[in-house]
Amino acid sequence: MRYFLHRLVQAAFLLIGVSILTFLFSTLAPGNYFDEMRLNPQISSDTVATLRAQYQLDRPLPVRYARWVSSLLHGEMGFSFAYNSPVAPLLWARARNTLLLTVTATLIAWALALPLGIWSATTLGRLPDRALSWTTATLLVIPDLVLALGLLILAVRSGWFPPGGMVSLGFERLSTVQKIGNLMWHMELPVLALVLSALPVLVRHVRAAVSEVLEAPFLRAAASHGIPRRTLLYRYALRAAANPLISLFGFSVGALLSGSLIVEVVMSWPGLGPLLLEAILARDLYVVIGGLLCSTIFLVTGNFLADVLIYWADPRIRTGAVTR
Amino acid sequence: MIPRRSWTIWLFVLAALHGIIACAGFFAPYDPTEQDREHPYLSPMRIHLMDAQGHFHFRPFIYAVQMHGGSYDQFEENTEQAIPLHFFATGVSYRLFGLVPSRLHIFGTEASRIYLLGSDAYGRDQLSRILYGGQISLLAGLLGAGLTLVIGVAIGTMSGYFGGWRDGLLMRVAELFVALPWLYLLFALRAFLPLSVSPVQAFVLIVLVIGAVGWARPARLVRGVVLSAKERDFVRAARGFGATDSYLLRRHILPETSSVILTQAAILVPQFVLAEMTLSFLGLGVPEPVPSWGSLLASLQQYSVLVSYWWMYVPVLAIVPFFLGYLGLASALQEDASTEKIVRTTAGGIW
Amino acid sequence: MVSMARLSSFRRCLGCGLLLVGSIVSSRPTRGTPRQSSASEELLTLSGGIGNQGGRIVVSLRAEPKTLNPLTAVDAPSREVILGAMQADLIHINRATQLTEPAIAKSWKVSPDGLQYTLVLRKGLRFSDGQPVDADDILFTFKVYLDENVHATQRDQLIVGNKPISVRKVDAQTVVFQLAKTYGAGERIFDGLAILPRHLLEKTYSNGKLAQAWTLATPANQWAGLGPFRLKEYVVGQKLVLERNPYYWKQDAKGKRLPYLDEVDFLFVPNADAQVLRFQSGETDLISRLGAENFSVLSHQQRGYTMSDAGPGLEYNFLFFNLNDPGEKTSPDLARKMKWFRQVKFRQAISAAIDRDAIVRLVYQGRGDALWGPVTPGNHRWGNASVPHPQRSIEKARALLKEAGFTWTAGPDEESSLLDADAKPVEFSMLTSSTNADRTKMATLIQDDLKQLGIRAQVVPMEFRSLIDRVTQTKEYDACVLGLVSFDADPTADFNVWRSNGGTHLWNPSQAHPATVWEAEIDKLMEQQLDAPKFEQRKKSFDRVQEIFAENQPMIFLASPDILVGAKTSIGNFHAAVLEPYVLWNVEQLYIKNTPGNAPQ
Repeated sequence: MRYFLHRLVQAAFLLIGVSILTFLFSTLAPGNYFDEMRLNPQISSDTVATLRAQYQLDRPLPVRYARWVSSLLHGEMGFSFAYNSPVAPLLWARARNTLLLTVTATLIAWALALPLGIWSATTLGRLPDRALSWTTATLLVIPDLVLALGLLILAVRSGWFPPGGMVSLGFERLSTVQKIGNLMWHMELPVLALVLSALPVLVRHVRAAVSEVLEAPFLRAAASHGIPRRTLLYRYALRAAANPLISLFGFSVGALLSGSLIVEVVMSWPGLGPLLLEAILARDLYVVIGGLLCSTIFLVTGNFLADVLIYWADPRIRTGAVTR
Repeated sequence: MIPRRSWTIWLFVLAALHGIIACAGFFAPYDPTEQDREHPYLSPMRIHLMDAQGHFHFRPFIYAVQMHGGSYDQFEENTEQAIPLHFFATGVSYRLFGLVPSRLHIFGTEASRIYLLGSDAYGRDQLSRILYGGQISLLAGLLGAGLTLVIGVAIGTMSGYFGGWRDGLLMRVAELFVALPWLYLLFALRAFLPLSVSPVQAFVLIVLVIGAVGWARPARLVRGVVLSAKERDFVRAARGFGATDSYLLRRHILPETSSVILTQAAILVPQFVLAEMTLSFLGLGVPEPVPSWGSLLASLQQYSVLVSYWWMYVPVLAIVPFFLGYLGLASALQEDASTEKIVRTTAGGIW
Repeated sequence: MVSMARLSSFRRCLGCGLLLVGSIVSSRPTRGTPRQSSASEELLTLSGGIGNQGGRIVVSLRAEPKTLNPLTAVDAPSREVILGAMQADLIHINRATQLTEPAIAKSWKVSPDGLQYTLVLRKGLRFSDGQPVDADDILFTFKVYLDENVHATQRDQLIVGNKPISVRKVDAQTVVFQLAKTYGAGERIFDGLAILPRHLLEKTYSNGKLAQAWTLATPANQWAGLGPFRLKEYVVGQKLVLERNPYYWKQDAKGKRLPYLDEVDFLFVPNADAQVLRFQSGETDLISRLGAENFSVLSHQQRGYTMSDAGPGLEYNFLFFNLNDPGEKTSPDLARKMKWFRQVKFRQAISAAIDRDAIVRLVYQGRGDALWGPVTPGNHRWGNASVPHPQRSIEKARALLKEAGFTWTAGPDEESSLLDADAKPVEFSMLTSSTNADRTKMATLIQDDLKQLGIRAQVVPMEFRSLIDRVTQTKEYDACVLGLVSFDADPTADFNVWRSNGGTHLWNPSQAHPATVWEAEIDKLMEQQLDAPKFEQRKKSFDRVQEIFAENQPMIFLASPDILVGAKTSIGNFHAAVLEPYVLWNVEQLYIKNTPGNAPQ
């Protein structure tokens, strides 16, 4: 419990650090939101200057930071220049959609990666392992965007999948069951794209961790004592191999908000991806900071979860933790 | 037990592949930036032995192609004149390894240009671009991944081994590093660099920066392994016998992390090569006309290219062997390491 | 992907030389219009195909519109939705004819001195929520636009001769606009200025919250406009649904009230290729802003849709050199290069060496035109035919460079490099926007062209905001390839590009005094064309401007792409225009054809 509180305090400091440094970095990058207006012959440079002043972009950094913190405390998370509205509602509405996609994809990816990696590790150097190596190597080389676009082309050519979007146009008129079906139908492709891009990394790590343990002396000894392979694998090997995988799982959780950016853009999924990508390029500062803060919260949670799991899974570390 | 040295085979394969890239000038028929505006998006040329009149030629030959009137990407072969293929031909001058000037190419033609893997939007030879592109991409990938790993392993080991407040601090810093918007820093970096800095230098610099700030993930992975390794019985025993920290780290703990490190390495190199695509989208990649694998793959990101010009996929096929080589080497080394460990530990008589 | 990929600009729409073109449009009372149609309504009758009532079209937008508030809308999608379908202006520029026509004002008169515009509103006008429109709404609208505290983006264009336009009400149907100075572009100034409903916004305005009003989250009953469609529903991140405005003020030749369609859906598809795929799969009905490659892919496999090349648009792409005065902060390296850039012969040589035909062929697949001046072939009235269109000539370029004192290192032509008067090699970098593939392609071709002159030019794609910062703020750059899209064919639309004190006078912006004799002459000519009463006189001034451009090459014009669009064959009355919005400019007349397959529900 004390450990938990300790971590909570740390997380709070981390969030403060992230927000301060983000402000700092954003001032280092040249250009600001109102720059595009400079190339608009309709708008004079005086107007651009007034707009900057109105949004306090000309104020010193500490002042802007203080104002942002106060807006955060009001639950607004700052103000979007582009949308002329508080950031928080913009983010919440889209974060739900993103999570729907990424949680599903993460679960599926892990559900696939574990058996595939174990299979690969138990057949080390033989055909299934070789085939998986080739597949994962190829998947690693194919850029996310090409993968997503390729799947989309497949969808349009075959007609089996919808060409992007989250629901069909007549969604409002459907019954609840049909609505769920329609939503799932639209989720298939983006989830597939996410799973395919996450899978190679996960499979490689599972394979490495499990194969290492399988070679370990205690297992060889156990095997020579005649304990069946299956029991060995599931009762001892997996538990011993869990450590790096738990850290990896922490990353998966941490990437829930930020991991599907490109797929969302290509598949026009109404999540955070399109919003954040546009905001980054348009220097819609507070939207970017808000997005970063949310994904930092996920990151911290993911790492915390991983730490807790590692302590739980490995009794030796637990005893080590007591000594600290 | 004698360790199987299967990794030497992989090393040999990788060395051969990198050798080809290093000698790109010799294997590539043309300068990768040379444009041929009459032949954009030309599909790979066919090498003939039989001519249109049905005569057999011992020397392989090609036919010149010309554009259909009114089209922008449709070509037909002109079967009137066979253009023979010459091996070890003299062509455009280049510098081998950037030093030795030469004009010798493994193959070439005289009357018309030859496009074995087709041409891109500017009529540049894809084969030459793939070969030359590897130079920058591999350099960037290896440097970036190497830097990330070195820092990551160092910090991860320290954090996991010493634990306590140091662990807490380092891991929070790691989280900070993952969370920060480095993109803005890179924008700023590009803005501060003078424009006259050669684009390739600017790119390598940016890759190094990304490498330097990307240590957090490997660090966490390594830390997890170190955490459990240092509590292993044999480590505790060794410590009990008075082994120093550096001895423990070197002999017992780092070897435990090898599988994680090698797997990370094999994944990071391709990721760094591909990272260039995101970077070039933000104006931070290798700019035209310099070829790189990232920019070759980036052209696939256009729907029109993806569906119209199949030979633009070829770079993917060319790059896979490299990454497969790295993956293969990594798993061979890992097998090797674990066998070695068995030998060592058995010899130590702990079991 | 991102909307900033092109500088979509919605320029000042000032315009044509015209003084007394008060046009009274025949209007007659209509019957059978939905809800209270009254005999006193003066509807505008459109010619053109008679369509069927009902149905829906779906259009994709490259980004979500950011707002429904015309005062703050600066991004292209918001402008497209607001001006294309939701709002209406007093006087409108017909996107097909490029001429002005009556809109909310049924007629207008200009005083002989050209300073006073008397506009007469249509009778029986109603906002989309059924509330009547009168002169007070017009007064309110312009008060808001001109209020300094509101920061409306429209304010700048309503300042003529350094004074804001003043507005006066004569009676409930008549308003008078008073200008401080004559304006050659005349009534084109009213295009694109949406009329705001006083009954909904006055309170917000007096609270000082107008800029924050009318976000996307606005409930449909809090929103009203005069355009053919009104707000129905916004689904976060997915779509914006508009429904037919039953009070719209146009009718077809048979007296049926427009628009024909019941609904227009804007889907947010943030990736250009995904937009193409959506169109191909039949999910969207119209597509515009297509690149040549995607256009040809779609043309190859036409199924249920037709693709059309509407001809050259008003986008002009150009290369320009940094012609700013070297200041204290200018690096010595740049100051040295600026000496070359300032030589007219150097710029002429670069222009002569550029293979514009290759740009049209390789960048636009032939769907575009080479350019030698700012007026594209898509502009019907303002081109100067006497501006020369010289063929590409490396010899001529070399001769010009020689005259300017440049020399070459010894060796064969293709390997020798160009040296300036101090025997330093000539090298420079060209900025392009990294998100605009077309312009990066142009720069890559130019780079190869210049290699033949012995010039080493580097292409530096840069993220767009950083690029703008360099060009307009720090001014640390050598050269840049950019493009602009004129919103209107009238040269006054790009006034700030031509005039030396303009912020978009890119090669040397916001000058206090014209830096060169020819810039001073352009300034004078642009003022002259504003004052000139007749189109011919204005054209004469602008012809001379084009000649000065051709002689001095401050912008080296490259090429202009065609407007490429597509529509389902079932869409009736579809004609693309070369002015924005390309496919939705006549959205009130679009209809779904009655074929067995697609009967409207």
